[in-house]
Amino acid sequence: MSQIALTCGFILILAGLYGALTNRDILRMIVAFTVANTGVNIVLVAVGYLPGRTAPILDSAVPVAEAAQRIIDPVPQALVLTAIVIGLGITALMLAYAYRLFRLRHSLDISNFTELKW
Amino acid sequence: MVSPVLIIAIGLGTAFALGLLGSSRKTLQFGATLTALAAMSAISVIWLVALVTGAAQTAEIHTAGAVPPFAINLRVGIAEAALLATVTLTGLFAALSLRAQLLKLGRGGMAVLLVLIMAISGLVMTRDLFNVFVFIELIAIATAGLVLLSEDPRAVCAGFKFLVVGQIIAILLLVGIIFTYHANGSLNIDDIAATPVGVQGAALAMFLLLIALVIELKTFPANGWALDIYTSAHPGFSAVFSAATGSAALFIVDKVVAPAGAEWLPLLTGIGVLSFVASNVVALRQDNDRRLLGYSSVGQLGLVLAVIGQRDVLGEAYLYVAGGLILSHAVAKAGLFWMSAMVRGRNLDDWAAIRARAPMVLAFATFIAMLVGLPPFPGFYAKWDLAQALVAAGRLPVLALILLGVLIEAAYLFRWFGFAIKREAPEKGLSANMVDCGITFAAVIAGWALGWIWGAIPGQHNVLATLPMLAVLAFFALEPLPAKIKNVAAIGALLGWFTLVFGDYDPMRLIFAVVMIPGGAVILLASFTETGRRIGFYPSAMAMYAGLALLLEATTFFEFFAAWEIMTIGSYFLILRGKMSEPHALSYMLFSLGGAFALLAGFALASGGIQPFALNQLGTVGAELAPWVFVLLSIGFMTKTAAMGLHIWLPGAHAEAETDVSPMVSGILLKAGLFGLFLMLMELGRQSLWGVDLTVVLAWIGAISAFLGAVLSIFQEDAKRLLAYSSISQMGYALFGIALMNHLGWLLAMMFVINHYVYKSMLFLAVGGVYKRTHTKLMYQMGGLITLMPFTFVSVLVGIIAMSGVPPLSGFGGRWIFYNAIMDAGLRLPLILIFMAGPVGFLYLFRLIHTIFLGQLKDPHRQLKEAPVWLLVPQMIFVAFLIGFAVLPGMALQKVDGYIGSIFGDQPLVWSGRAIASEFGYWNPVAIMVVIAVIFVSVFLILIAKNHDAQKVKQFNIVFSAERPYRPETTHFAWNFFAPYRKALGFLEAPVVTSFWGGVTDGLNGTAEFTRRFYNGNGQSYAAHVLLFVVAVYLIAMGGVA
Amino acid sequence: MTFEWIQVPYALATLFIILNYGLLMTAVVRKLAARVGGRPGIPVWQNYIDLVKNFALRSKINHGVMYYLGPVFRLSGGIGLILFVPTIYGSSWAQNFSFAGDLVLALYFIFFGTLGMALGAGESGHPHSAIGVSRGLAQVTTAELPMALAVYSLAIQYQTLSITEIVAAQQGGLFNWTLFTNPLAVVAAMFAFVGTMMRSPFDVVLAPQEIPIGPPTEYHSAYLALMQTNRAIFPIAKTIIYMNLFFGGAANWAEFAIKVFLLYMIPAVIGVVHPRFRVEQSIRFFLKWGLPVGILAILTV
Repeated sequence: MSQIALTCGFILILAGLYGALTNRDILRMIVAFTVANTGVNIVLVAVGYLPGRTAPILDSAVPVAEAAQRIIDPVPQALVLTAIVIGLGITALMLAYAYRLFRLRHSLDISNFTELKW
Repeated sequence: MVSPVLIIAIGLGTAFALGLLGSSRKTLQFGATLTALAAMSAISVIWLVALVTGAAQTAEIHTAGAVPPFAINLRVGIAEAALLATVTLTGLFAALSLRAQLLKLGRGGMAVLLVLIMAISGLVMTRDLFNVFVFIELIAIATAGLVLLSEDPRAVCAGFKFLVVGQIIAILLLVGIIFTYHANGSLNIDDIAATPVGVQGAALAMFLLLIALVIELKTFPANGWALDIYTSAHPGFSAVFSAATGSAALFIVDKVVAPAGAEWLPLLTGIGVLSFVASNVVALRQDNDRRLLGYSSVGQLGLVLAVIGQRDVLGEAYLYVAGGLILSHAVAKAGLFWMSAMVRGRNLDDWAAIRARAPMVLAFATFIAMLVGLPPFPGFYAKWDLAQALVAAGRLPVLALILLGVLIEAAYLFRWFGFAIKREAPEKGLSANMVDCGITFAAVIAGWALGWIWGAIPGQHNVLATLPMLAVLAFFALEPLPAKIKNVAAIGALLGWFTLVFGDYDPMRLIFAVVMIPGGAVILLASFTETGRRIGFYPSAMAMYAGLALLLEATTFFEFFAAWEIMTIGSYFLILRGKMSEPHALSYMLFSLGGAFALLAGFALASGGIQPFALNQLGTVGAELAPWVFVLLSIGFMTKTAAMGLHIWLPGAHAEAETDVSPMVSGILLKAGLFGLFLMLMELGRQSLWGVDLTVVLAWIGAISAFLGAVLSIFQEDAKRLLAYSSISQMGYALFGIALMNHLGWLLAMMFVINHYVYKSMLFLAVGGVYKRTHTKLMYQMGGLITLMPFTFVSVLVGIIAMSGVPPLSGFGGRWIFYNAIMDAGLRLPLILIFMAGPVGFLYLFRLIHTIFLGQLKDPHRQLKEAPVWLLVPQMIFVAFLIGFAVLPGMALQKVDGYIGSIFGDQPLVWSGRAIASEFGYWNPVAIMVVIAVIFVSVFLILIAKNHDAQKVKQFNIVFSAERPYRPETTHFAWNFFAPYRKALGFLEAPVVTSFWGGVTDGLNGTAEFTRRFYNGNGQSYAAHVLLFVVAVYLIAMGGVA
Repeated sequence: MTFEWIQVPYALATLFIILNYGLLMTAVVRKLAARVGGRPGIPVWQNYIDLVKNFALRSKINHGVMYYLGPVFRLSGGIGLILFVPTIYGSSWAQNFSFAGDLVLALYFIFFGTLGMALGAGESGHPHSAIGVSRGLAQVTTAELPMALAVYSLAIQYQTLSITEIVAAQQGGLFNWTLFTNPLAVVAAMFAFVGTMMRSPFDVVLAPQEIPIGPPTEYHSAYLALMQTNRAIFPIAKTIIYMNLFFGGAANWAEFAIKVFLLYMIPAVIGVVHPRFRVEQSIRFFLKWGLPVGILAILTV
């Protein structure tokens, strides 16, 4: 199961990056990045699970002293949420930028914004 | 003590709380922002002080009531506290710098700034990988927000490119983090297991993590996005971007790589060095100030990254070195960005506007010196320790590349400084105000304070805490006084220092000390001609003299090197004062720095990393290394004596300097190189490399310099250039003498130390006096000045007699010792050049005196007055000395002779009364003087008896081709004076060396021009660059493992 | 050896002999040259006549201090050169003031007169003077080079810089002369000798056709008289050095007279049969022919 998720995640990441690098349209680039972000999140969830460990419930079965070796840290999986939130923030910011860029030049082609160079 | 977590809490809390304040109360909001930043800074500084003084221990802060890895923990040690202080203070000042924009935009902008500073601080403190990601993303978002504060519409494009790359970094980072977790079972940085570089999952995870963090450092070539930010963002923000974000990113790389193991270090070294050198090369072609600063930032971060790559060999010095470099970079770069906010124009030469305000020039100089790593700033100490460690670990290529990078960086930074000092200032080019000046000066003060702190750390030699350096600082304080008062103080300081120290010197050092310290005071007499305040002259001159004084005092390699650099800086600023000296000062600085780096490498090689290493232990270097040490040190010293091949800086630098500066840099400064050569040869003795005796090589170089210097000199039309080339020739003689490696050869060189100081200073002052009156240095425009400037004529006459070696003046003594010295030296072929250089020298000297003082007086010069009296005073002192020294050479030489005898264990000269005898010949200066004087007076009396009634005639009373000439211009034979010589030997004038160095610089510039085309401005290309960079680095790293 | 007052009259006597010898000999050489050219030539006492005439001249002008001092420098240079070099080997009174310095002193003192003269001529403001000086200096740099090398070769050979000791080492027969013990050095030195005696082909410094008599163009009256005096003694002084260094010196005045005359005839003969070199030609000549011999001399000794 996790292998499938992992593969899917990486395919999404690569597809996203490919899209971001080949589409000159800024909006399409942003979309491509969200695809890649989704892939990353899937990978996070898939990899965050450590085989052979138990759920992070500290009771008599898993004493606190041994917790670090025996449980799966919930933090990584939980932090996917954070990653999603941050991804959302960045996407929003990029869209805002896209708006500003469009107002600047009435174009959304990234190759039109190259005055800063060399 | 307050918990450091409050830094984050205050930042975040205030950012949210700003929303509660009404949107119209902008001043209040801004006050709250400043208060919050100040509070954050205060906490950081309190922690820093507490940790440094030992009042507190490294703090571990656990959050959420759980231990790691189940909760995020933060750590504050010394390094963290220092970075926190840098970050928060930069933030505070950035808020001030951005005040107009923030007040316009309101609470949103302020909140973003607070979040940015909070996130950077968090990044410094956190020990959790996921937390790293969160902070990096927060930084990215805040950065993208703050970029928009700029008035430059292009900033929008830059911000978007930044976000695109930020996305890629985020992807790499997240994948890296999660796989690292998978491998280690923990997100805590301290739980990361040492991972070998390889193809396994854990290694790939570590690679992705590291490479994401490295790209965050904007390393070359995956950094086009960052450069655009630097170019277009508000400089107040760029300061944060460079100083705070960059430093924190470096720290996080360091945090991650520490547990990952030493195997990852070469990767960082490679990327760092590439980034450092390449960015600096590309920066050579920049003319936009902010973009240039961007390239420089990228370079500096690369340098520190390379240092992180050396953490395995730096040992305990790691924090000292890396910290010194990071803090130097942060302070200097922030300061420069803040200055750039005040300069209206964006071209480098628009910075000429700052010249109107002396403190701004001081600030600029301070920042550039910090970036280049010159004393007394932390970068200097760091560079020294780094070099020691690298050599001790055998990583010479790394050291060589780093030094190359520093040299290139110095090239564009000092070129820029030259623009600021010399180019035409645009009108109203500076919008100086209290706040911007204030924060700039806060950076200046921080820089000097850091310099003091870095020197004061136990085990270091505090350059600033020496008496001469304190004197230099005092002269900064004296700047508002009139020049004449400062001149008195300067002369007093020099003489005072000399009376303090001269008792401790051996005779040889004493001769150098006399030439450099009281000798400098004599030349300073000429500075009484200057009126006004002469801003900048005295600190520079005193820095040069301080360097010289410390050079003589130095007992360890470090002290020697520090003194050498101080002397170089002081003299650079002095030379730069000349009207046309901008390019020449730059080439002087670059050659000097290159030479200094050769010294640095040589010293490091000799000491093998042992610190401090006494100068007189140089002789204990192992037999394998000794020849290489010899080569490096002699290259360093010969750069200073301007040996042929390394000489092209000298003519311009000496000729274009001010009237009283030329004698200082020629008569005095050149001797520093000779002093170094003496020290080196005294300890190392003869060395041979591949069967070639290196002293013979030196002798050849000396002979070639002596000959070619003289030949080039006779073809000069500019009087000061003529003298400058003559210096090359004279130093060639001295070098030859030293390289003879016998008693008399050394005595010869000592004689040149004295004589060259006296007659070259005298001639430069004389020519300077003529220049003051005629406003030209071209000799063919002068002529016939003898009656108008008789004293100047006398000093030139005495000078050239002494210099050409004609008896009875002191130059002859040099020739006599020379002949005795070569009698028992095995070197014969280089002598041919030396023999020929003598008469050629006569040629240029005659040209000097003839075309200026004899021949036909020009119409515009008929009303000229004698040179200012204060220029004549030192000249007359020199004249008196030359005559005295000619009659009584023993007064200076006898003790030195004895001292050299104690080195070589022989005593070839017998001093009996006033006569001197050697194994081969004899010399009786008093008899020579008396005989010549008697003959001369007798013949003179005969002539007077016959021709006392000769009629004085006017200028044109000559018969010239059956006509009486009336135009001096057509009658004064001066231009191309030695035309036949040019016909016969003009090929020697071919600028081979100049072409060579010109080719080197053209090559670098061409590379820069070519390379920067790579940054095509397209955000998508930049994203592709980043990905390709990652792939390339991965392949290379794996290739390295395989 | 140290100074005693008796040396002053001794030195004056030496000077007197050399002056008269020089005046007569240069006239004889000019006469010989004239005869070669099929002209009757001057009487042998012509130099005395010129000297007296110039001293007696009443119209005299002055271009300035250096102009005035130029001839003084020039003649002091010539006299000094004689007095710093021992004239007659073994003679108790013709050692002059050679205790003041050795060969190095003699070699460098040659420039004393040259310099003063050049400065004086320069102040006259006459371009021909300056041109002559510039030519002379340019030429002498390479002309003197073989001499310097020869002297070095010699000094190594005899392990001394003292002229007296060098002469002493050559005593005891013709084949002890440097001419035979170190022929390369002698050949090299003779290049310099011919090159600096102001005779064709190396007399472009005075070049009568282009820059009438070169540096001394503006000199007349007693100034010129002093310079003529120098022109009589200076070549002798130089010849004495060459004689001492390479041709066994002179043990008495007769030997002195013969050797100096013969040596002096070398450049004279060469001069009579050769046209004049331009400056750059002579520079190239000395570098091409004189220098290699000099190099061989210092390498083979």
